[in-house]
Amino acid sequence: MPNWTLCIDTSAGTTVAVLQGGEVRSEIHFPESMKHAERIGDAIAQCIANAQIAPGQITNVVVGRGPAPFTGLRIGIAAAVMFAEGAGAQLFGVSSLDAIAKAALDKQTDSKLPLLITADARRSENYWALYSGQTKNGAPVLIKGPGVAKPDALAEKFAGQKLAHTDIKINAVDLGKVFEAQLLDGTASHNVEAMYLREADAVAPKVLRDFGKKVSG
Amino acid sequence: MSAAYLIREATEADLAQIMDLENDCFGNDAWDQDTMHFEVVAHHTYYIAAFDKAAVNETLIGYAGLSKIPGNEQADIQTIAVAESARGKGIGKALMQELLKEARRLQAEELFLEVRADNPAAQNLYLALGFEHIDTRKRYYQPDDVDAWVMRLQFARSTTGREPIVLGIETSCDETGIGIVRGNTLLANIISSSMEEHARFGGVVPEIAARAHLEALRPTLHQALAKANLSLKDIDAIAVTNGPGLGGALMVGVGAAKALSVALEKPIYAVNHLVGHVGVDILERGQLETPTVALLVSGGHTSLLLVRDLLDDVELLGETIDDAAGEAFDKIARVLGLKYPGGPEIDKAAVGGDPKAIRFPRGLTLPKDMEKHRYDFSFSGLKTAVARWVEKAEAAGEEINVADVAASFREAVADVLVTKAVNACLDHKVPRLLLGGGVVANARLRELAQQKCDEHGIELRIPALSLCTDNGAMIAALGAQLIMAGRAPSSLHFGADSTLPVTSVQTH
Repeated sequence: MPNWTLCIDTSAGTTVAVLQGGEVRSEIHFPESMKHAERIGDAIAQCIANAQIAPGQITNVVVGRGPAPFTGLRIGIAAAVMFAEGAGAQLFGVSSLDAIAKAALDKQTDSKLPLLITADARRSENYWALYSGQTKNGAPVLIKGPGVAKPDALAEKFAGQKLAHTDIKINAVDLGKVFEAQLLDGTASHNVEAMYLREADAVAPKVLRDFGKKVSG
Repeated sequence: MSAAYLIREATEADLAQIMDLENDCFGNDAWDQDTMHFEVVAHHTYYIAAFDKAAVNETLIGYAGLSKIPGNEQADIQTIAVAESARGKGIGKALMQELLKEARRLQAEELFLEVRADNPAAQNLYLALGFEHIDTRKRYYQPDDVDAWVMRLQFARSTTGREPIVLGIETSCDETGIGIVRGNTLLANIISSSMEEHARFGGVVPEIAARAHLEALRPTLHQALAKANLSLKDIDAIAVTNGPGLGGALMVGVGAAKALSVALEKPIYAVNHLVGHVGVDILERGQLETPTVALLVSGGHTSLLLVRDLLDDVELLGETIDDAAGEAFDKIARVLGLKYPGGPEIDKAAVGGDPKAIRFPRGLTLPKDMEKHRYDFSFSGLKTAVARWVEKAEAAGEEINVADVAASFREAVADVLVTKAVNACLDHKVPRLLLGGGVVANARLRELAQQKCDEHGIELRIPALSLCTDNGAMIAALGAQLIMAGRAPSSLHFGADSTLPVTSVQTH
């Protein structure tokens, strides 16, 4: 019986797809990196309706774990977690950069250069990860990263190395393809923890005043 | 504004007034008296009438009727009329909502009505109530030769006629709350707090709160289901807080709730956090007595509400113009070298202290402030006053009596909160005050509220602390009230709104 897989990624825009045994049955993409909370419900509902199945038929939910700016990323993961609970489906996590790499590597025919994937991390920084080729089942092989860095720091890091780049954007279909490959490789993971790669912005306040010695209590 | 009308079931005695209004409103399309008489007295119909409260004699200003044959799952809105002079006051909506509630109570699954194609005002009202335009009858209204729109409202099938089981999700601040109710009955109320993670920052850090929500969702859900001894298959509807609160934190709950709604194929209700705090009283008393003034005090809110009707008439009388009361406690705790959260620490430190030792200012209570900000609060001046007082004493080499400072500060906060809340009750002649929010845990606030309410003959309601702090049960309870009132579910398009006004009880 073929598996139905719901794929969700909100690391950049809102992208959702339904795959059946590796075949794409439906997909919906909102490229703008905003309004994830508004769109996620309709995107999932429409994708499932377009695949002409009932939500309860979904057997796997795959979600992009980022790395990504925080607010949008969390909405996709929260939705994936709860959808899996509601549908009684298995839940899996995939790096969103892996999905971009998969799309690029599938197109990379003549070059064997390592592939550097970058994605906007806001605050003039990029998330990055370096890949080299794919496993026999087609999962991208991560050789460095993921990390977050300013573009010039990244350029310096890989100075003198010949690297392939891509401007392909994240797509839930590619996320699903990475998952299918990882499933065959035996490396599919249930870890859906968000990859923030940055600490929460918070600074502990300076002690306002120290008058401990004079305090009687 | 208080409703200037009252609605009750119509009787034969109202027939003459109904016929006058029928002829005024419908002219050559009006029903004759025999038809109307049959409609009003028939067993399968429910006719209601609205009366002008200000008029000396009972003056009928609107009526509406519902037809529901027992055993038939479809019901019809037979007619509705509002006197021309009384339009634009929400009377039509109030009449419709009463009929919706009755239709749902009678276990109707669908409700139909016809409306003139040339009456957009009425169409918009019905659309706002959740009706859809499903068909058009050509030239239905004669002799005017006007088309009729056929409109239909579908009630959530699984929830008609019995108490709905609703799962509520709350993530507006630092508590991940998942609660489950059956109608007015609490089944589970699980709260996972990230408070400890905020301790070293001396206040809630939005990003830390949002991260914690994401991690807490699954375990909190499992605990809530286990506590209620239910599985997700038993849930009839999802309710979720969509504001006000911290944007990033709210969005975690909104995303989670929408996906759960889609996966379970169950309706979703997006509800107001502050109104949830008011509605929670239903879980303890089986109903919310209205009108009531509600004082909601937490680390994020300090709001004074006048609630005439939980679902339709909530008015914001005032709120803090700077810090929330809970924040003031946290900041003063820091000044006094006490731990986070400040409320309980200051309560402890104040034991044995003299609340009258230092007269700290009561924000926005001077006559000139009271004109503009009668029900508003301000705690930043108080906070500064306490800090300055401590600095001065320190500079003078005086010993600081922490118990006195804590007790005096706490007194200033409790005094201003209770005084303004009691004023609101007296000004609006409302004999009830409901407290909500985490700061209700403060012993002095509860004590002073009880004392002042007793003095003025005001009934004080303080729900259990687990229902006062942010929780999912109150969200589920508000969702259940909306369902039982026959309200249509929210769409899947709503977003999180960090400044959602209290007048928006449900976001469609």
